[in-house]
Amino acid sequence: MIGPYNSEVDDVSFALKRVLPPVLVIVFILAIWQVLTVTKVFSETQFPTMTSTMAALGNALVSPILWQAVGATLEGWIVGLIIASVLALIVGSLLASSTLAFRASAATIEVFKSIPAVAILPIVILVLGSTMNMKIFLISFGVFWPLLIQVIYGVRSMDPTVRDTAKILGVRGVRRFLVVTMPSAAPYIATGLRIASIGALILAVVAELVGGAAGIGRNILIAENGGSAQYALMYAYIIVAGFLGIILTGLFTLIETRVMHWHESQRNARSNEESAK
Amino acid sequence: MRDLASVETQRTGAPLSGVIASEIDIAEGAEYAGATSTGSQPGGSPKRRKRTARKALMTVVLAIGLPIILLVVWWILSANSHSPYFPPLSKILDQFWKLWIIGPAKAQLVPSLSHLAIGYVGGSLIGIISGVLLWRLPAVRRATSPVVYFLYVLPAPALLPALIAIFGIGEMRQIALIAFGAIWPTLLNTLDGMRGVDQVKFDSAKAMRLSPVRTVWSVVLPGASPQIAAGLRAGLQVSIILMVISEMVASTGGIGYFILQSQANLALVAMWTGILMLAIIGTVLNYLFVGVEHRVLAWFYGSRALEGR
Amino acid sequence: MTSTPTISVSNTQGKPITPILDVDSLRKVYNQGAANENLAIDSVTFSVNKGEFLCIVGPSGCGKTTLLRTISGLAKPTVGTVQFEGTTLTRVPDGLGVVFQDYARSLYPWMTNLQNVSLPLKARGMKKAERLRRTHEVLDSVGLSKVANQYPWQLSGGMQQRVAIARALSYKPDLLLMDEPFASVDAQTRFDLEDLILKVRAEYGVTVVLVTHDIDEAVYLSDRIVVLSKGPSHVREVVPVELGEREQLATRSSDGFLTLRNHLLELVMPR
Repeated sequence: MIGPYNSEVDDVSFALKRVLPPVLVIVFILAIWQVLTVTKVFSETQFPTMTSTMAALGNALVSPILWQAVGATLEGWIVGLIIASVLALIVGSLLASSTLAFRASAATIEVFKSIPAVAILPIVILVLGSTMNMKIFLISFGVFWPLLIQVIYGVRSMDPTVRDTAKILGVRGVRRFLVVTMPSAAPYIATGLRIASIGALILAVVAELVGGAAGIGRNILIAENGGSAQYALMYAYIIVAGFLGIILTGLFTLIETRVMHWHESQRNARSNEESAK
Repeated sequence: MRDLASVETQRTGAPLSGVIASEIDIAEGAEYAGATSTGSQPGGSPKRRKRTARKALMTVVLAIGLPIILLVVWWILSANSHSPYFPPLSKILDQFWKLWIIGPAKAQLVPSLSHLAIGYVGGSLIGIISGVLLWRLPAVRRATSPVVYFLYVLPAPALLPALIAIFGIGEMRQIALIAFGAIWPTLLNTLDGMRGVDQVKFDSAKAMRLSPVRTVWSVVLPGASPQIAAGLRAGLQVSIILMVISEMVASTGGIGYFILQSQANLALVAMWTGILMLAIIGTVLNYLFVGVEHRVLAWFYGSRALEGR
Repeated sequence: MTSTPTISVSNTQGKPITPILDVDSLRKVYNQGAANENLAIDSVTFSVNKGEFLCIVGPSGCGKTTLLRTISGLAKPTVGTVQFEGTTLTRVPDGLGVVFQDYARSLYPWMTNLQNVSLPLKARGMKKAERLRRTHEVLDSVGLSKVANQYPWQLSGGMQQRVAIARALSYKPDLLLMDEPFASVDAQTRFDLEDLILKVRAEYGVTVVLVTHDIDEAVYLSDRIVVLSKGPSHVREVVPVELGEREQLATRSSDGFLTLRNHLLELVMPR
């Protein structure tokens, strides 16, 4: 028979089971990296050793250069995202409220969404220069269209019963927008924001790498141009860019799960998880 | 708990044209749901067919109306433009004809599109196959999930300098970068879609004694296909961006190179033709994708439109 | 602890009969040893004879679906055995067909009705010509030959469940297990489907075990009814049903039907 239920022991073994394998995988990858570079399978003109990269990362983390770059990237990311979201919310709600307007504009929005935002980069650089404004414009343009589509999607997917109830209850105008329309569309918008946040980070790096605006992307390119002596620093910056991605995406995933708490699809996902046990 | 954040759920990415189509389908869906064993075919009566045709025509008119208006507005506003940055549309179109249709610039499309094709198809295949493997091996999935997630959220353009260092400035690093961008959204969506397949569908498969391989092929992959498609669509968008920037940095060919080179030479009309060309490529690829998707996933869009909403 | 009644292994004529399915002291516990341990089935014993139509009824929440999953080989019993045609089940056996309650979830929406029905035949390596012939034959016997090339979701609920029945019958199983197969359709369709299942049962000579919460349905359809207690379940009684040829109106208003129905209601309803 099983002994008395011991939650402490259980938690520890659970943590070991959950946490240990991923940690081992990461350690394994780092070890392979070290072995391949130390034994010169990859020459140091291609690939720095893991230890030198970690050392460069350690140095970078205490240097203001890195944090200035991260700050510049984040500034472009957040301002671009805010501009695009506000515009998308306003334009999207207006378009979605009229079937005619929505159907007339759908194809155009679709076309603008499929234009790769980098295409306009050269003209934006010409007009605005290698500046923060250039970065912000590129990001806003790039994430506006997918966000707009999500807003329209969300507003139009409102349950007709919910809409009819609002009408019967006499909820109209701005109040209806805030109390009925927005909560209904929230899950779509939250998902749109999460994906836009990834897109915005990609475009920020593009604006820095190709457009020369200050930020982590430019630092990566500068380190690459510095030759193999600087490669360790370049990889340190790339790792930082990855962690930026993790933090920003994690943030929005958290928001999304919150918003989605009551939403049906999430409930289904949960009950599926439970039945799968 | 989910190991990885769910990715491009079916709530996202589906093109607006799909929304329109499904809204039209809903209007006509009633006849499907009411279909009886008499086998009535949709759109049977000539009257109904006429109505459907008129509706389709209306959709087309509405869809191309605004783009035409926008082009006309651009044409008129730019007609007398003396700003070097914003040349008249007439000049751009004239140059576009000379450069891209009858001229030499179209040769730039060959490297761009072939890199994109190889990188995107390769990356997508790697993504789907790894997705299936990780789905079958939950222990491996849990162990590798932080690494996979890191690679997914890592902004792919940041890897461009590293790939230049590894592969030099040749084609290989362009293809590798494009493939890298396509792998992760496809992989995560494949995995997520497969994990979302209804338990009863597995029970049915077991009850019919389908082999594991057939279960994956006939049940899991089709069941996950709407979400795999969402991942492929997201991957395509990233791949196009990566194609362009890999040509803009340390490259000697391709449409991205052409645009940036024109900009550097202050040949701004030529630059605009490149932007136009890129917009056309992006749009055509997107519509091509949506067209194929709607054909392959006809069952999904059809059944969803009937869900009663 | 409640004792489980033993069941005589003999039919109405008194001849000894080999059971096709033998369920012995089946017990099912979820999450055993964990904090959220849940005893779904206490101890269930019964057997099903070849050619018989057996219904399992019980109050809601008595673990009917768990029982069906266990006796079909989809889930393992915690204690006890399930024997199908003399061998202990470790997975779903070849000669078993299952119809689930929710056709919308059990049918594959990416396949046409024809493809759905022929899938198990494909899995059994049947040649294409033979497969098509068999598929059309079975679709015909559930009255769906005209919609073979449509998708399940284009059909009404009752027709979708017919597709599911055809799919389970296509490979001619010896035993057909049905989990509340008519619970998601309207009353009229339900009567049609009940008669359809009686028809194909005769046509295919298949043994049927049907789980339902509907007492009328159980009495109308079956030769024998296993009544379960409320969960954690055990067998309260096994009721033989001798009503002869069935016809919706006449059978349901016959005295025999009403007597049985009242008896079962007393067993199922808490007093």
